[in-house]
Amino acid sequence: MSAVSEIQNAGNGAVGNRNIVVQARGVSKIFRRDAFEVTALDNVSIDIAAGEFVALMGPSGSGKTTLLNMIAAIDRPTSGQLLVLSEDIFLLNDEQTARWRNEHVGYIFQTFNLMPVLTAFENVELPLLLTNLTQQQRRDHVTTALRLVGLGDRMHHLPRQLSGGQEQRVAIARAIVTDPTLIIADEPTGDLDSHSATEVLEILKRLNENFQKTVVMVTHDPHAASYAHVVRHLEKGMLLPIGG
Amino acid sequence: MTLTHFVTKNAFRNKRRSLLTVGSITFSLLLLTLMMTIWRSFYLDKGSEDSAQRLMTRHKVSLANFLPEFYRQRIRSIPGVTHVVPITWFGGKYKDDKAENFFAQFGTDPTEFFKVYTDYKIPPEQAAAWQHDRAGAIVDEHMAKKYGWKVGDKITLKGTIFPMNLELTIRGIYNPPTSTDTLYFDAKYVEESVRWFRGSAGLFASLADSPQSVGRVATTIDDAFRNSPQPTKTESEKAFLLGFISMLGNVKAFILFICGAVVFAILLVSANTMAMSIRERTREVAVLKTLGFPRKTILALFIGEGVTLALVGGLIGSLGATGLVGLVAKGGGFFAGLSVTPGTMGVALLVAGLVGFLSSFAPSYTASRLNIVEGLRHIG
Ligand SMILES: Nc1ncnc2c1ncn2[C@@H]1O[C@H](COP(=O)(O)OP(=O)(O)OP(=O)(O)O)[C@@H](O)[C@H]1O
Ligand SMILES: [Mg+2]
Repeated sequence: MSAVSEIQNAGNGAVGNRNIVVQARGVSKIFRRDAFEVTALDNVSIDIAAGEFVALMGPSGSGKTTLLNMIAAIDRPTSGQLLVLSEDIFLLNDEQTARWRNEHVGYIFQTFNLMPVLTAFENVELPLLLTNLTQQQRRDHVTTALRLVGLGDRMHHLPRQLSGGQEQRVAIARAIVTDPTLIIADEPTGDLDSHSATEVLEILKRLNENFQKTVVMVTHDPHAASYAHVVRHLEKGMLLPIGG
Repeated sequence: MTLTHFVTKNAFRNKRRSLLTVGSITFSLLLLTLMMTIWRSFYLDKGSEDSAQRLMTRHKVSLANFLPEFYRQRIRSIPGVTHVVPITWFGGKYKDDKAENFFAQFGTDPTEFFKVYTDYKIPPEQAAAWQHDRAGAIVDEHMAKKYGWKVGDKITLKGTIFPMNLELTIRGIYNPPTSTDTLYFDAKYVEESVRWFRGSAGLFASLADSPQSVGRVATTIDDAFRNSPQPTKTESEKAFLLGFISMLGNVKAFILFICGAVVFAILLVSANTMAMSIRERTREVAVLKTLGFPRKTILALFIGEGVTLALVGGLIGSLGATGLVGLVAKGGGFFAGLSVTPGTMGVALLVAGLVGFLSSFAPSYTASRLNIVEGLRHIG
């Protein structure tokens, strides 16, 4: 607890604490597998303000996905402190963490990861099944989300009946349908052609500008990174200084 | 969409595999339902009320030994006994040796027969006609239909145990609670022609005054003849019929063994299927968890899938068994009166549900504990 209050006090500086969405201090992650040890993150500290659009770049294996997973409360740091939305997510138990993710984080994967047995509509509805919304409310939310990504006319298609770009847009709709504060995207355009990639990036930009979503996106593509306000580089698990 | 809907879609996502799993559960549960139905009819059914009051007295040594005719009066004098008739197996041949021409034939006393077999229905004028014709016979409704017999028809039964042929006229068609394909005739017909059979009877059927007195009456009868050259063995009609079945061997153990083997086999089959089908979806599980699905929901989703598949198979299987038993029972004979009760079906569905639960529990539990990072890195 003392560590947490320390961070909170430290945060009461120039940037108001309420505006900081992600606050990492000395976060390290070491993977142990048998005799091997891999330092995926090495003493990473970063602040991400509400409404920011951050791009994370870096070579393969530099720890980008690992950092995203920490922020999304999917994985725990080996050491260091991490506050997301002013909450020390690692004090929550498994069920609370799951609910926290459902409410606050929308995760977009490189490979879309839609449920193949469900239609676009049903895929987007999935996270809402964990809420108390009525069926009618769920329907309204899902329709709004799918219209927002321009798929109002593809609601009842199965993933295999959609193009890659359309699948990724369904995945974005699924990520925003619970109206989370934070959108996490791990190489969202990695599997897309440039036209579809631009569509996806435009949507992320709109979510950031018109809906004040905080976006943290990993990408290898400089064109994609150009959509972000801030570009940060990771190298061998270390976060390079801004502009470095 | 609801979570139930999601479960159903997942359960049938791989058409061929679901079909095979449901199919194997269907056939197993069909067999199980059949076995349970036979078990129920053998060991749990008390028979009709009247049947429960009926006692069969036979020679202690074997069914092939005759009892003296005078035992009838002695049995009749025992308190609690209301009526007694002799019943003697004739074992004659109708037409030929073909199985479809085999049926039971018993010599009895027509004047008292319906006082012991109170649950057998026959028009009074037919019963009277039988009692007045020493060469008369009665047959049950089912076999009359099967052989196309009408009242007044003549049939011949060639003796195999007794050195004589019976030239019988059908005088009546009776209707028993469950059809047994049995012909009854007047035992005097045999006694008149076969000298050595005079004063004998195969066994005696008697009616007790209440189901409660059956046990006491049985011991009293056997006690009365204990020290005579022909000691007896008396038991309820149901137990007597079961005696025939147990001559086939340890039927109880056999049925239990089959049921056990069937349940064990489907447990293995569906456990394997569920494990495979869940392992294939490791990545999907990780995605669900990323979306915020908690452990217990994941556990419920996958167990729900296993139970759904098993219940569908169980339902088809027990319905199939119901139809099959109905068909077989219509054929009369040994399986007449057999039917799948709602209780038996309930037990079958319960077993199916349990198999679904047990077979999916371990892989579902593993899935619910899956580490998200590992799951997302999973290729496949
Ligand atoms: N669950 C794990 N077990 C063991 N090692 C891991 C695990 N997850 C990541 N690593 C290792 O940690 C390092 C960082 O991995 P990470 O996935 O974060 O890299 P990345 O920057 O996302 O790479 P890419 O661009 O290829 O996606 C790598 O060396 C990787 O092998
Ligand atoms: Mg990565």
